[in-house]
Amino acid sequence: MGAFLVRRLVGLVLVIAAVSFVSYALIGLMPGDPIDVMVSSNPDLTPADAERLRQRYGLDRPLLTRYLRWAGDVLAGDFGFSRTYRVPVWDILLPRLGNTMVLLGASFLLSLAIAIPAGVLVATRPGGPVDYGVNLLCFAGVSTPSFWLGLLLMYAFSVNLQWLPPNGGGSVARDGFFGWLSYQVLPVTALTVASLAVYIRHVRAAMGEALAQDFVRTARAKGASRRRVVYHHALRNAMIPVVTVIALDFGTLFSGALVVEQVFSYPGMGVTIYDAIIGNDYNLALAALLLATFAILLANLLADLAYAWLDPRVRLH
Amino acid sequence: MVSVRVGLAAWTAAVLCATALSPALAQEDGELVIGVSQYPVNLNPLTEAHVVQSYIHGMTRRPFTAYDPEWEGRCFLCTALPSPEAGTAEIRDIPEELGGGRGWAATFTIHPDAVWGDGTPITTEDVLFTWELGRNAQSGVINFELFQDIVAIDAIDDKTFTIQWDQVSCGFDMINNFELVPAHLERALFEAEPSAYPERSLYETDPTNPGLWFGPYLLSDIELGGEITMTRNPLWWGDEPWFETIRVRPIQNTAALEANLLAGEIDMIAGEDGISIDQAIAFAEAHGDDYEVIFQPALFYEHIDLNLDNPILADVRVRRALLHAIDREMISERLFAGHQPVAHVNINPQDRVYNPDVPTYAHDPERAAALLDEAGWTLKPGSEVRTNDAGEPLALTIMTTAGNATRELVEQVLQSQWRRLGIDVAIKNEPARVLFGQTLAHRQFDSMAMFAWLSSPENIPRTTLHSTMIPTPENNWAGQNYPGYRSDEADRIIDALETTCEDPEKQELWNRLQVVYAEDLPTLPLYYRAMPYILPTWLEGLTPTGHLAPSTLYVEHWRPREGAAR
Amino acid sequence: MTVAVAPVPPLPGRPRGAIGRFVRHVPALVSLIVILALVAGAVFAPAVASLLGIDPLAEDLFNQYQPPSAAHWLGTDALGRDVLVRLLYAGRVSLLVGFAGALIASLIGTLVGIAAGYYGGRVDAVLMRITDAAIALPVLPLLIILAAVDLGKIGLPESFVRSGQAGVWRIVVIVALFGWTTAARLVRASALAVREREFVRAARALGASDLRIMATHILPNILSPLVVATTLAVGSVVLVESVLSYLGLGINPPTPSWGGMLQNAQQTVSRAPWLAIFPGIAIFATVLAFNFLGDGLQDALNPRRTRR
Repeated sequence: MGAFLVRRLVGLVLVIAAVSFVSYALIGLMPGDPIDVMVSSNPDLTPADAERLRQRYGLDRPLLTRYLRWAGDVLAGDFGFSRTYRVPVWDILLPRLGNTMVLLGASFLLSLAIAIPAGVLVATRPGGPVDYGVNLLCFAGVSTPSFWLGLLLMYAFSVNLQWLPPNGGGSVARDGFFGWLSYQVLPVTALTVASLAVYIRHVRAAMGEALAQDFVRTARAKGASRRRVVYHHALRNAMIPVVTVIALDFGTLFSGALVVEQVFSYPGMGVTIYDAIIGNDYNLALAALLLATFAILLANLLADLAYAWLDPRVRLH
Repeated sequence: MVSVRVGLAAWTAAVLCATALSPALAQEDGELVIGVSQYPVNLNPLTEAHVVQSYIHGMTRRPFTAYDPEWEGRCFLCTALPSPEAGTAEIRDIPEELGGGRGWAATFTIHPDAVWGDGTPITTEDVLFTWELGRNAQSGVINFELFQDIVAIDAIDDKTFTIQWDQVSCGFDMINNFELVPAHLERALFEAEPSAYPERSLYETDPTNPGLWFGPYLLSDIELGGEITMTRNPLWWGDEPWFETIRVRPIQNTAALEANLLAGEIDMIAGEDGISIDQAIAFAEAHGDDYEVIFQPALFYEHIDLNLDNPILADVRVRRALLHAIDREMISERLFAGHQPVAHVNINPQDRVYNPDVPTYAHDPERAAALLDEAGWTLKPGSEVRTNDAGEPLALTIMTTAGNATRELVEQVLQSQWRRLGIDVAIKNEPARVLFGQTLAHRQFDSMAMFAWLSSPENIPRTTLHSTMIPTPENNWAGQNYPGYRSDEADRIIDALETTCEDPEKQELWNRLQVVYAEDLPTLPLYYRAMPYILPTWLEGLTPTGHLAPSTLYVEHWRPREGAAR
Repeated sequence: MTVAVAPVPPLPGRPRGAIGRFVRHVPALVSLIVILALVAGAVFAPAVASLLGIDPLAEDLFNQYQPPSAAHWLGTDALGRDVLVRLLYAGRVSLLVGFAGALIASLIGTLVGIAAGYYGGRVDAVLMRITDAAIALPVLPLLIILAAVDLGKIGLPESFVRSGQAGVWRIVVIVALFGWTTAARLVRASALAVREREFVRAARALGASDLRIMATHILPNILSPLVVATTLAVGSVVLVESVLSYLGLGINPPTPSWGGMLQNAQQTVSRAPWLAIFPGIAIFATVLAFNFLGDGLQDALNPRRTRR
């Protein structure tokens, strides 16, 4: 177990290092630098101004030099300042990480809370109207582009019914807890609809498999109640593959969050990364990308641990 | 099944609670919430220039000088524009130790009641400090050249100072970008380490410090990347503003911005940085009775830069044919409901120096076909694309900023109209940062690029038309003369305009420059863009400007209409 | 399964049984018909356009924003173009991107997965670590850069770059570069399972080369999950295309795609909602159909999971 963890953590560090270099290179190799963009939008800036600013921000040095310098600073714990916001990158990232975790966490839990019982329900009554109904709803969920769904929700619940605010910009300090909560409902719903369907499918498949296995039939034959068989024997077994698949899906969930954050102006990590890349804010983009990568890898690692915990037959080595 | 119910019930309960208790849907009296589409990024006026930043600064600070809604220069922080007639401006000899030569000396007086939000009076001390900061190459100030052009500032007393310019060019009476920063707060930070100033400035580390602001409002709360809140400045010396609080809320997705307005989350959408013209027209059609929609013609010159190094476009007959081939009147009428008038030159008709007698190019397909035939591009029977004698097709590309719906619509209309004349135009769009940052800046566009210039009134088009402003590797890609336009006459006129400050000589130069431009057509003029403001019907006093100086410079006059229901 | 001595095992479900099961899967059958109809609409788009006498690119600024009518069944767009014809043309792009993206992604994934699963050990470890890294790789910067590459500069013929096709294939490549990991994991898992089966050991003992074993013994056995995965992937690729369009990284106009049409419709939704509804329905129907089809194929090819 200890050796396993060490090995996985070393792998994690290697991947992060590789991702940091690849991302840095890619962002750096993108045509156009921030000063060019600034010049194009401001008629009062002269070429001499542009050249001086480029030196000021170190944009005149070769890419590799810039990367090594950046990596050195990061290893020393200094992630630098955001070029656009002019504050240390963590001042921006930490609150946004919190926001995204609220969005992802709420959506994740809500999805599971609905997907597990719904998946079980469908798996135990295959072929019936319930099965078809749930299936249809699931597929409808995955088949709707989330930016489109977001807009539909916004028009339905904010513009027409005027029940909920059409953006994700609330704060506890200003709006109170329930006010803040009202800002979360639509983004969380939009994200949940997209991921829910996938989860239900996984649960249904895994439950179907588990229910067909010998020990479940044995338990049933020995007279265990249907409910006990389903929830005690089969579900526990079914959760093993479900956890793995869902954890692997974390990256997809994160991408989904980006789009939802964009639609609802939700101040989260996804929007931050996108804006930082578009605005050529190296330090912010890289720190955010690494944080996202780290979170995804960590989720995968936790999934492996959960796998071992759920299935005593699996030994980590 | 039980858990499904629990999950759904929990969700429903959350929705209901949140709905019932949500306070945000009803704005309190005395509060105005403005929707914009971008976050201003950072708030130091010297180290970043951004449209939303200047929008916020319009409420929280005032420039010395700026153009007003009638496009005339006027004083905000000063008492009167300097002029030779008033004895506040004259041409002086510059002492040898300061470079020699002659230059204008202009005297400004700071408004006698002007104070920073913390009560410290605004004095010439702040002016001197700002100048010192501005011309320090390490301080990251963007308008460095402005501060460099000043050879000396002479503080006559606490409120009056004289600027000695390094030459006798016009525009000595306006210092729009001389953005004052408070010496009593920022000097120590700057002097400790000039190169670290942009990050250490209180504008970044403590932006709600009242001492940084001096407008009708003070910045009272800021969420990074989110909402910015301003409250009335008790020490403001001008007219009393009506609203207690103003919030500026950035919402990037413009469809969501509209939904926020309809849901009552925001009261208005700023024209400076809000929704696109076609969205505003659609909005006006659907909700025109419930809101006031203003289309303010603006100093946005939408045009197509032509790469004159492309052998096809080097021929002026082809350039004129391209313009005759397209129906700009119809585009303006049908796509923009007449709100964005057709452009004939790079100068806006509202600009005082506009020449109404420039040559124009009406929609005339026959004339265009004749010009193309004359230039050797003929349509062979049975073919759809014109060719020259060598059999090469008349094929061009057009680029613009990807994702800009309005431009992409116009592009497709143009493409289709050119196709009818046998001109094959392929669309090749790029994200704005690539188009502006690389393709245009390094002149890598093959033939045509559509975008807009935003300028101030009477802006001399040196960087876009002078032959020394063609970006090349030798000049380190300096300048914005992307077409590669070289005209001795245009160069001469531009040089002369810099120092010809009086009519009628000045106007004659301007007139001639516009004729040269319209005859040579280094770019195809399309139309002047309008800024769409969407306002609640109960609001009055908001006057759009149509140029770089935002409407918020008059925020103290915004108030609810008498007797109007909110 | 009693396949101990058979050199090639029977497919998990015998073909006839599989077809029978598939035909009994009503939603899958309906979906197949829907997909065939969409593909036919896309393929015959020019014929339909000329039949209706409509030029898909010609703008008519005096006919903007017409609601659905007898002349224009699905109305007209901001430039007065017929929405139905554009929808059919857009289907060419969206479906092509969907099929090509999913197939190429599956192909890359299969090669990686089969090698990892068959050889195991170090090869497996390295390939799977690369797969892990690829999954964790941030997608958006790559997309932005790839959207900015000038295809003319990397040696592609000018005529290709100028046609609308270049943008389509760019998206296909982008999608494939990020989509292969799912197939790789799936194939690896299946290959790992098959590799230890007796018929593979027997083949190896008889001196068959690795390539031959992979091609003749392992590939047929992983085919059914692969077909299912690829089918499901088509739907998600169509969705990815719409998201790329949404982020402004889609295909250049005037070539229409469903995602692009939906994106453009957003701004004028209060004036012309049908502009958003129809492409939305097209995407929805396509993705839904491919999901049901994949579901049906899964039940048909893998009878253990069948519901009856």
